[in-house]
Amino acid sequence: MAFSLSYIPKRIHKTFANLRTGIVLLILVVIASAMGTFVLQRPATDADKLAQAYSPNTLRWLDRFMLTDVFHSWWFLTLLGLVSLSIVLVSIDRFPNAWRFYARPYRKTDWHFRAALPHKVELPIKNADDGLNAAERALKKLGWPVDRVAYKNEPSLYSERHRFSVMAVYIVHASLLLIFAGGIVDGIFGYSGFLALHKGQTGNVIELRSGGKKQLPFALKCYAAGQENYADGSPKKWWSKLAVVQDGKEVESKQIVVNDPLVYQGLRFYQSSYWLDNHTVDSLQIAWVAKDGKETPLQLQMNQPVALDGNATVALVDYIPNAFVRDGQVFKKSDDIENLAFGLEVKDRATAEVTKVWLLPAQGAVLGGENLNYQFKNPTSAQDIALAAITGLEVSHEPGQWLVWAGVLLMSAGLGVAFYMVHMRLWVVAIPDANGKLVLWIGGQANKNRDRFEQKFNDVVEGIRSELESASATPRPARKEQPERTLAGVK
Amino acid sequence: MATRARVVRMEPPAATGGNALLVLVGLSVVFLLIVALLGVAKSGGSLISESNFLYVALIFYAGAGALYMGFGVTGTPRYVRYASVATSIGLVANTLAVAHRWYLSGRPPFASIYEMLLSFVWAVAAMTLIAEKKFGVKIIGSITMPLAVVCVILMQLLPSEVRPLVPALQSTWLHVHVTLAMLSYAACALSCALAMMFLIQDNFQTESFLAWTSAMVSAIYVGIVATRFERWGGLSVTGWDAQTKSDIFLGRGMRLFVTVPDLGWLFVIAALAAIAPLLLYFAGRVKNDGAFYGTANKAVFISILLQLVVVAAFVLRVRDAAYPSPDQDGLFPTSLAASPFLLGGMVTGIFASLLYLMLLWRRTDLQGLLPSADTLDRVTYKTIGIAFPLLTGMIAAGAYWANRTWGSYWSWDPKETWAAITWLVYAGYLHMRITRGWRGRRAAYFAILGFGVVIFTFLGVTYLLPGLHAYA
Repeated sequence: MAFSLSYIPKRIHKTFANLRTGIVLLILVVIASAMGTFVLQRPATDADKLAQAYSPNTLRWLDRFMLTDVFHSWWFLTLLGLVSLSIVLVSIDRFPNAWRFYARPYRKTDWHFRAALPHKVELPIKNADDGLNAAERALKKLGWPVDRVAYKNEPSLYSERHRFSVMAVYIVHASLLLIFAGGIVDGIFGYSGFLALHKGQTGNVIELRSGGKKQLPFALKCYAAGQENYADGSPKKWWSKLAVVQDGKEVESKQIVVNDPLVYQGLRFYQSSYWLDNHTVDSLQIAWVAKDGKETPLQLQMNQPVALDGNATVALVDYIPNAFVRDGQVFKKSDDIENLAFGLEVKDRATAEVTKVWLLPAQGAVLGGENLNYQFKNPTSAQDIALAAITGLEVSHEPGQWLVWAGVLLMSAGLGVAFYMVHMRLWVVAIPDANGKLVLWIGGQANKNRDRFEQKFNDVVEGIRSELESASATPRPARKEQPERTLAGVK
Repeated sequence: MATRARVVRMEPPAATGGNALLVLVGLSVVFLLIVALLGVAKSGGSLISESNFLYVALIFYAGAGALYMGFGVTGTPRYVRYASVATSIGLVANTLAVAHRWYLSGRPPFASIYEMLLSFVWAVAAMTLIAEKKFGVKIIGSITMPLAVVCVILMQLLPSEVRPLVPALQSTWLHVHVTLAMLSYAACALSCALAMMFLIQDNFQTESFLAWTSAMVSAIYVGIVATRFERWGGLSVTGWDAQTKSDIFLGRGMRLFVTVPDLGWLFVIAALAAIAPLLLYFAGRVKNDGAFYGTANKAVFISILLQLVVVAAFVLRVRDAAYPSPDQDGLFPTSLAASPFLLGGMVTGIFASLLYLMLLWRRTDLQGLLPSADTLDRVTYKTIGIAFPLLTGMIAAGAYWANRTWGSYWSWDPKETWAAITWLVYAGYLHMRITRGWRGRRAAYFAILGFGVVIFTFLGVTYLLPGLHAYA
């Protein structure tokens, strides 16, 4: 049974190191992803909507196969894992060959190698050394690096450009793995959640997307938040003035807007939403009337006493969205904005006596405080009542994102090299041709973009030809059948 | 003497035959321009407006399309010269339309499906000229220009007013992301057109083109009938509020549909006429009898006529009319603008059938005009070599932007997922080509499939699948 033990890992290796397996896996990923977009997905869709869209039986089956949350299901992650495994194994299988090719380029000029080259030209020469020297000068003028190679007593030249482009494909695949690695790191160590802050509020507990809460090692304070609108009433900008508070000290502050988050200790705070809190009043604009009938406007903020005159202060202490009155007392009925009630406290400076006054704008009534020297008027319009703004902050911790961005940059570079850098090679050797006459044999090869290389190759041949001509003591007449193409700087 | 005279007399009719289309196209372009000018003069509006520029672009693209197709049919090289001139003028007008919109809104036109189509059409026209001048693929305009025309017509029906950017879109990354997307999509469109050219040059059977064309047209009409056919032969279309230029909604996410009586039957007939050539093709395959193909080609002709009738009937009856709705009492207005994709599908069907007819009649001439199959194959690969890095950059820019806006670089949103699927499909193409040596047919099928996925990602996802990526 030793056979089966050693056979299984080999078999697995063989299966996954196969490009066909990789393609099959890719097709499976495509199908699974497509299903994940056609079936409504759990985290994004409410349970109600799902129940509306599918019958209970269908939903049960969808849930059983995790089709309602494809992208977080174990089988999808396994699939991605297998794709990574396949990339790694295929690359390992192919890499040594590529590396050998890269590290030890083939510079020899055997006749069978020469015969297989796609581009080759023979130029007649008198003397091997002079010919090679001329070719070397021409190549250098055209910017090709030149190596002298001696093989089987045949001195030859070897020149190449962009050899590293043959490794680009490994860079691209490695970068994909880097991106996956970033995703895995974020899946394990990352988290994201939500934090809603009133103006002036400080908070350090976020509600996690995955459920539950998390306490941050520092707190976030919201100084102000707001919305700006376009002329047509659609929102133009949401902003929040935030500060990071650590150990009671403010260590950083920033005004964030959508698209420009606050980053602190690897945590990002995004402006995600903005709304008004029905339950909290930020400020109230009313007026008070003195005994002599003089009316003075009064701007109140929650729990902040304001001096009326030298003798008393008033503070807004209570706010009830929907109130009802029984026996002269005010009670809360519900949280819907319907019958507002504002509770004021008037404090006499001298006696420290506190009197409660209720404003009920819907009825136009004021309860309590009838004996005071100060009478209060109800707010007259909706603009007088400013509800508290709440800023909704998306919080995310993605320690793996740097791997992802590194992967993205690497991939861009890799693709650029893979598609647009051509590995070009040239060989030049002095050999006797079929008739036994000495010729300078020039051969070339490119790994892609063959027609462009043909042009370059022709340029090189022309360069060498003119160099040979100018070097020879007795210039030969220009060949009629091939119009002379001279290169700038060569002649 | 006599023979020479006859030869001389034989020539002119052929030459005028060659000029006829030029004159026809030229006259219709001039006529349409004058009509438009009169319209502008009558209404007293400004000549310099985005819609006027776009109208000029539409006319010239259509003229160029006709000339490219005329070149395909007759092989007159002059047509191509005039066609590329028309394309260039269309491109200039298109550029002016983009520039005017940019100037008015103070930002690049990348923020709605209308604006993206505007840029997409621009990229397609530019790439057509590049393919023609640089790669020598002259006939490519006969596929890309109709595509541009369909897109511009679609744009006429989409809400086009300049809307201020919602907060999430106010980012430089919007421009990077969308520019890359439009360029890569246009390169994909080009590779698809080149792959089709390859199939023609590679002696892909005309009958197979027949099958694919009628399958596509059948799919369009069967799809419309399946989703829109109402009881008693009505056709269901979306209600349209002319005042706000938007669909009428009954509730959240519930659009109001109205029923156009009797129009449904016409679509059923058109669907049957579209299926008929497909069935005849299969009959020919099974019985191994070429006679069926001849009948199938006649059926295609009938199908085209019916498609034209259906489009005309649809336009006449749906344009600015009021019909009852099954969901609500009373009559509700509808407009062509409410059904851009029905109309787009129908026009695409007509163009596809016409292209098939061109192929059927002039196959050998076409083959003489195209570069060799080998060149086309290589150029297809080259365009994908351009499209793929652009696609990668588009996804990367989108991810980076999402990370700054939504707090996550990847949230498996349908648009994101489909962009990744597109990327994987083209990655598959590259792998098969480079390591498995896939050349020719199989690579061409792959390129065509890839563009199908692109179209779904671009338009299908926006209209069919809900998600965060709601702007376009």
